[in-house]
Amino acid sequence: MAGEYTWEERRLEWLYGLLGLYNGLVVLLMAGFMSLTQEKIVNSMTAHAFLTTLPIVPLPALKGFLLSVGSYALLILLGKLYRHGGMTSGQLHLIFAAEIGICMMLMKSLNLAYDGIVLLAVADLMHRYHGENQSWLLLGAMLGIYFMANYNMAIFQRHVAPFDVYTAYYRPEVQSVLLAIKNGFQSFNIVLFVLYLVLLVQSKHHEKERIASLNKQLEEANVRLRAYALEAERTAETRERNRLAREIHDTLGHTLTGIVAGLDACIVLVDAVPAAAKKQLEKIRETARHGIVDVRRSVKKLRPDDLEKMPLQQAVKKVIAEFSASSGVEIHLVELGWPEKLREDEEEVIYRIVQEGITNARRHGKATKVTVTCGTEPGRFYIMIADNGKGCDNPKQGFGLRHMEERLELLHGRLRYWSDKGFTLEATIPMGKNAMDNNGEADV
Amino acid sequence: MKRGFAIYFACLMLLTCFLGWYLTRPKVLTVGLFAGSNWNVPEGDSYALMEEAIKRFEAEHPGVKVKYVSGIRRDDYSEWLAERLLKGEEPDIFVVPGADFDLYASIGALAPLDRSMNKDTEFDPSVYYPMALEYGRWNGISYALPVGAVPTLMFVNKTLLAKEGIPIPGNDWTWQDFLRICKAVTKDTDGDGRLDQFGVYDYTWRKAALTNDVQIFSADGRNANFMSKNMEEVLYFMDELHAVSQGQEVTAKDFDMGRVAFRPFTFAEYRTYKPYPWRIKKYSSFEWDCIKLPAGPSGHNSSIMQTMIMAISARTSEPRLSWELLKTICYDPAIQELMLTKSQGLPVRRDVVESPQAQQLFTAATPGSEEMNLKIVSQVMDDSMTEPKFPRYKEAMNLADHKLLHIVQENMSLSSALSQVQKEINAYLQQ
Repeated sequence: MAGEYTWEERRLEWLYGLLGLYNGLVVLLMAGFMSLTQEKIVNSMTAHAFLTTLPIVPLPALKGFLLSVGSYALLILLGKLYRHGGMTSGQLHLIFAAEIGICMMLMKSLNLAYDGIVLLAVADLMHRYHGENQSWLLLGAMLGIYFMANYNMAIFQRHVAPFDVYTAYYRPEVQSVLLAIKNGFQSFNIVLFVLYLVLLVQSKHHEKERIASLNKQLEEANVRLRAYALEAERTAETRERNRLAREIHDTLGHTLTGIVAGLDACIVLVDAVPAAAKKQLEKIRETARHGIVDVRRSVKKLRPDDLEKMPLQQAVKKVIAEFSASSGVEIHLVELGWPEKLREDEEEVIYRIVQEGITNARRHGKATKVTVTCGTEPGRFYIMIADNGKGCDNPKQGFGLRHMEERLELLHGRLRYWSDKGFTLEATIPMGKNAMDNNGEADV
Repeated sequence: MKRGFAIYFACLMLLTCFLGWYLTRPKVLTVGLFAGSNWNVPEGDSYALMEEAIKRFEAEHPGVKVKYVSGIRRDDYSEWLAERLLKGEEPDIFVVPGADFDLYASIGALAPLDRSMNKDTEFDPSVYYPMALEYGRWNGISYALPVGAVPTLMFVNKTLLAKEGIPIPGNDWTWQDFLRICKAVTKDTDGDGRLDQFGVYDYTWRKAALTNDVQIFSADGRNANFMSKNMEEVLYFMDELHAVSQGQEVTAKDFDMGRVAFRPFTFAEYRTYKPYPWRIKKYSSFEWDCIKLPAGPSGHNSSIMQTMIMAISARTSEPRLSWELLKTICYDPAIQELMLTKSQGLPVRRDVVESPQAQQLFTAATPGSEEMNLKIVSQVMDDSMTEPKFPRYKEAMNLADHKLLHIVQENMSLSSALSQVQKEINAYLQQ
């Protein structure tokens, strides 16, 4: 479609060039003819008789010729400026006014014998014409040119040497031929001009069509985009709902489990060792308080407070210590290595996995010993949480595991779990360049 | 920066040099005029007056040169000027042939002078004879100034009138006086049965029409009116005058032999033929003098004034200097005075013509004309007329001459004949 347009434009430019060239040729011939005739008249001693038939003293032959050719060159130059220069509308109007002025001068210097050059100015005007609201302006300008041409004709009529006077120098047979040639020049110019106009209108029409079709495409794209936006909104909503559920599960669930476990211990201890029970209760209170803070923050920002306050390593150690203290589960942390740099979401996922893993070990596996191992391998980071609980042959995917998987998926990580002597959970997160790429894609 | 300054400096230098050259370059004015007299009389040195004027002008305007092309005959001048105009090489100021004046003024070849005339405090147009100044006007605008003029006067053969005992008529004489004297002097003196003494030679209906206030042509020269009462009076008078010589043709030879009482003459002809050597050659046998033309019943003692005018080219590059030069030629009293000694015409400034010094110069330059009073000539010029200047005037008048001569000779019915002439002349004018 674009190729067709430029082809059309090129064709139009070519025709405009032809129009300019043709008019230049005519101006050259006319000016040359009149100048030569004038020279001949002087040489044949009929200057006085010639002057008596004129309403003015014509310019000397060479001067008249140069004026015609020079002003035509200027006209073409202005036309070029008008069509191609990136100019403001004020400048354009100025150039167009100058063009008309030079047109008038040229017509006068050609003794009004050839008025085809006005069409050149009109062609320029038409070329610049855009949009429907300018049609009145265009009409006004065209009428203006028409009246100006006529007015100038009327004004100049007494101020130019008519073409006939020049032809009258020659024999009658030659005169008629000259007149025919002159009229032929005019007619052919009109033919060229009309052809140019037709092509111009055609090109404008095609352009309009093209714009209409583009508009239609755009509209369609818009509709699709709107549907997509709706869908995306819905997805985001769902995801957020899931996330909330996860958060509630992670924070509240974890805390409540700890409290329940602590309370269980208290029930056992309260009669036997009231002091220990009291101590235990204090720890439970501490856990509950933490839970409240966690929930608050979750609601507020959905991010673990510990992670807000401290680096991941410390936060993990803290959550382990706290959980171990409150639930009485013996948790062992084996640090084989930490990744140098982690993004916030990665940190959060790791923290949550540790939190969830130890909670699960206590809640579902009734474990008393848990080993948390974390380490790095080329291209990935892994956490392994193994307990000595009763395990699970067919681990029902409760909230905990599913959420862990979901979170990991977002980071293109992987979750594996199995039961042998207890329950073992292994999470891997890709690291480095590989991970970045994947994450970038995943974020979208 | 340094280079920019150098270029700037070079441009400035160039501009200064150019300006310096432009302002101090020798200015050259050209004058267009023809060889010979403007009034169809032999003239010895036709450029003498112009050379005096140029000398004076160049002295007043150092750094200005004035040139003229010499050797263009009067007959070729019109075409020469037209060619110059077409080539764009016309002189800055030039003599405009009367027949071409309307044409050149209408096509804008001449610069209008009204502005210069009004602006120039030294210039006072009222010193000119009104008709002389009027001759350089077109459509109410001055395009040319008069250089010199000659009125047409009536030549009187004093010897012949004295012989017949007829006093020389006064300047207020009428057609009736004219006719009476003509009748009185027309006779056969040697008794061979043929008339050999005549009243008038070369008095045409044109002169009669002028002295009877006939306005034949409209101002634009597109219409002719031969049907007026005045014109009829002219033709009746011409008929009577014609009848006096009983159909016999009066010739120039009769006049040269001193056998004709009156002959209208231009002042230039008078001046050319009166002094030596022309007087000896042509009219040595009698004494003669000039008076005004006789007045018709509806007109007065008018005279035709021929005026030589000069104009400034509309395309001159030096309009101010051209005006100064034109003023020197046409307005400077010293140059105007030279008209009396260096040419056969008369100055167009009334004050110059009427000055006692002018009378002295004139008498010295024109021997044998002691009786000629320039005061009378000045009066003649004051109420003289000029011929219309429209382009086809000459041809139309020649056509009218031919037709009217026919009427006078054939004794046709006057009113129908005149309407016939009018129709034909109008047809010609409106072609």
